[in-house]
Amino acid sequence: MKVKINNREYEFDKEMSILDAVKSAHIKIPTLCYSEKLEPFGSCRLCSVEIKGERTLKPSCVTKITDGMEIYTHSDRVRKTRKTIMELIIASHGIDCNLNCLTCSKSGSCEIKEVAEEIGVTEVRVPPISNGLSKDESSYSIVREPQKCIVCNRCVRKCSEVQSVNILTIANRGPDTYVTTFMDKGMGNVDCTNCGQCILECPTGALHEVYHMERVWDAISDEDKFVIVQTAPAVRVAIAEEFGGEPGKIATKQMVAGLRLLGFDKVFDTNFSADLTIMEEANEFLERFKDNGKLPLFTSCSPGWIKFLEHNYPEFIDNLSTCKSPQQMFGAVAKTYYANKLGIPREKMVVVSVMPCTAKKYERVRPEMKGDVDYVLTTRELAKMFKLAGIDLLNLQEEEYDEPLGISSGAAAIFGATGGVMEAALRTAYEVITGKELENLNFESVRGIEGIKEATVAIDGINVKVAVANGLGNARRVLEMIKKGEKEYHFVEFMACPGGCIGGGGQPIPTNNETLNKRMQAIYEVDSSLPIRKSHENPAIKVLYEEFLGEPLSEKSHELLHTSYVARS
Amino acid sequence: MEKIFLKTDLGKSIEEYEFSGLKNALRMGPQNVINKIKESGLRGRGGAGFPTGIKWETVYSIKNDTKFVICNADEGEPGTFKDRFLLENLPFKVLEGIIISGYATGSNYGYIYIRGEYVESIKIIKRLIEKLYEKNVLGKNILDSGFSFDLKLVRGAGAYVCGDETSLINSIEGDRGKSRIKPPLPVFEGLYGQPTVVNNVETLAAAAEIMKYDNNPYKEMGTERSRGTKLVSISGDVKKPGVYEVEFGSLTIKEIINDLAGGVQGEKLGFVIPGGISTEVLTEEEVNVSYTYENLQEMGSNIGSGGMIVVSAERNYLEIAKNVSDFFRDETCGTCFPCREGNKNISKIVSDIYKRGYPTSKEIEIISDIKYAVSSAARCGFGESSLNLILSLFDKFYNKKVKV
Repeated sequence: MKVKINNREYEFDKEMSILDAVKSAHIKIPTLCYSEKLEPFGSCRLCSVEIKGERTLKPSCVTKITDGMEIYTHSDRVRKTRKTIMELIIASHGIDCNLNCLTCSKSGSCEIKEVAEEIGVTEVRVPPISNGLSKDESSYSIVREPQKCIVCNRCVRKCSEVQSVNILTIANRGPDTYVTTFMDKGMGNVDCTNCGQCILECPTGALHEVYHMERVWDAISDEDKFVIVQTAPAVRVAIAEEFGGEPGKIATKQMVAGLRLLGFDKVFDTNFSADLTIMEEANEFLERFKDNGKLPLFTSCSPGWIKFLEHNYPEFIDNLSTCKSPQQMFGAVAKTYYANKLGIPREKMVVVSVMPCTAKKYERVRPEMKGDVDYVLTTRELAKMFKLAGIDLLNLQEEEYDEPLGISSGAAAIFGATGGVMEAALRTAYEVITGKELENLNFESVRGIEGIKEATVAIDGINVKVAVANGLGNARRVLEMIKKGEKEYHFVEFMACPGGCIGGGGQPIPTNNETLNKRMQAIYEVDSSLPIRKSHENPAIKVLYEEFLGEPLSEKSHELLHTSYVARS
Repeated sequence: MEKIFLKTDLGKSIEEYEFSGLKNALRMGPQNVINKIKESGLRGRGGAGFPTGIKWETVYSIKNDTKFVICNADEGEPGTFKDRFLLENLPFKVLEGIIISGYATGSNYGYIYIRGEYVESIKIIKRLIEKLYEKNVLGKNILDSGFSFDLKLVRGAGAYVCGDETSLINSIEGDRGKSRIKPPLPVFEGLYGQPTVVNNVETLAAAAEIMKYDNNPYKEMGTERSRGTKLVSISGDVKKPGVYEVEFGSLTIKEIINDLAGGVQGEKLGFVIPGGISTEVLTEEEVNVSYTYENLQEMGSNIGSGGMIVVSAERNYLEIAKNVSDFFRDETCGTCFPCREGNKNISKIVSDIYKRGYPTSKEIEIISDIKYAVSSAARCGFGESSLNLILSLFDKFYNKKVKV
């Protein structure tokens, strides 16, 4: 197919959108309602181009190239049209003194600011119009600020197309069109999983996490409190992005130094309790396997996934591992074992988590395990705190985590990527069952960004069938297949967010396919560079069992490390 | 030449109405029906003016088990009431047209989507559909022809944008009344993803009339590019508002106002909105134009839906601009940015101008830039044409200060 773009001839061998064709010619067309992960929608019209012979401009995201087409991506008409549309968008974006760019959650990652720059808007001649809608603060995880919403539908589409959760929708018509939840009930009162994918998708500051920063500052400055912090595996490969680092730059040890500078009394690692999770979960799996227990076993680390299942597939609740997530296990161990060790009363200890996740903010207040964790910061919030404290993260001297809750294995690190929990569990399960050492620790078949992965692993002559799903849409697909009897598995890992925790709703923005791949690569780098790569070989975990828990699935373990679920449908 | 609409069918019973157009069609076969409609030169009477025969032929030529015909009776353009006239006075002809359209396109299912506020029209059509089923003019093996056709009435919920065919299709499917991205055009992928022809009430009534004759008198009426007749609904400052049938090219707009509608009510003519509020106004100096598609286009305006609104010189043009811009602000579906935000902002600006009594040059600049952007980039015909009238008013009356 021969196509002319701005008077130059190009040849394409397949049908594609004008947007993609133009991109391959290294010309950038501004977009706003477009997102690589979503079906093109054609509503913002900023990507409109002029096509010879056509009466009106055509949106390049939804218009296909045809042979002989002559496209003008930045003609006078196009530039003038884009500029006016952009002015109108800015005017309806609710920027007044209280809602301005300086205080916005997206001040450092604002997409409409970037687009406005690309389009070259130099003035806004139309007066600002506010929609007068109030904040939605009903959720433990996510805040909506509808005054900043430009109704691009990306959150609605992400929630529906990728996550299949469908809690956001468009209401009303014309100037009153707005994004809302079912019956305007608010994010906290509908079937929201708190995954935060809507936040990642939002090009403005209309969606952000419920901030815990102030409460953490207060705790740190309270001399009466012993404040400890745990950091999730996926945070270390993303936080550098907030300081201009390349996606996938591993900044674990600088982050540890930064956390000490912030004033935390101890800096620990969620990876420690990820190892603990594997000990419990792998043994739970073995027990169910041997005793004809409920299979397949579903992982329980991702609180977004848990809530999704409770709302949509309560019939599968018995398939869920009863293991608490690593975040909660950490809190439970810290406030008992560790507090005892130091002789600190439980009430004086404050446990803060740094998570790539917004659903963790909800998980911490679940009645089944309330009190384990006090505050949850997202990766973005931690970066804001570092900035506020003047911490130049990437130039800090590297420091090590505190012991013993800072010691972990490579198996724990890979929890950060989709497939990681499965791989970590298999490493331990294999060696516990067979008593032999694994020759190759890398289970490549469960790695990678793909939505649904399957593998069959021979353990002691038995073929164990496993699957890995990331993104709730894929979770639904796998559950439906199991329900219809089309698939039989023994063990399935589910993660609410595409890519797993590296793509979590609390991660730096943008989180696109490119950053996901780089973060994932870094996760496996962390794993392969560690001396210990199997959870059951973590010496601190061994000591924990010797001194405190006894053995996996012991009474003590059940009391502290296991939980229950509720049907929410 | 005879007028075709205003003399027939009024008050006829089902026994008296002969369905001769439908019978002729069923005898001729779909391709011959299409040829006859093509030959007649009939263009869509909803506003866009696309040749009806070509539309039918496109759907006819698509091989598909399921196809749909939709009669667009969601008439909502302020000042336009000719569809209502047809629905309430010539319902047989309208329904006959729908069945013919189904036969010609190879569709076995039809919908008539009537504006919800047209309670009387809905009542009439509903009752008549039942009767047609009883008399085997609808249903299986219509009039023993081998052709089966089912027709369902859908009542609109009150959104002007549903007059846009893709919004109307969404509405029938139970979705929000918002426009779809084109392509695909509804003739290829319309209702439930199947080939669908959407025709206006007046178009279908005209088609039924055309099919009544062995010869083709319709093509002899009007001009080369504007064949046949057009129902014009005249309202505003005229002495005899109402629906009039005009043969294209036979009268000027001035003559329509004076000879048919009894002349201007008031001192003198201010301006005319010739085809509903999506069309550009014509000033008193411009109304000596022959009523045809081509002549109005030359004047920078349009036949539109045929809803002619006459405005006397005493009226405040800014008040009309305000009403119209408020209307479009409220009625945009809100999906595409230029239309939603553009109409919202224009309405605010025009409201400011109305309060002040005159526009500033800065405001005129913004209005024309917004109009340029919206008409270039909006997603459907609603947006594209939503600012035509406003801008033409300011173009033509900008220097005229209005007393407040």
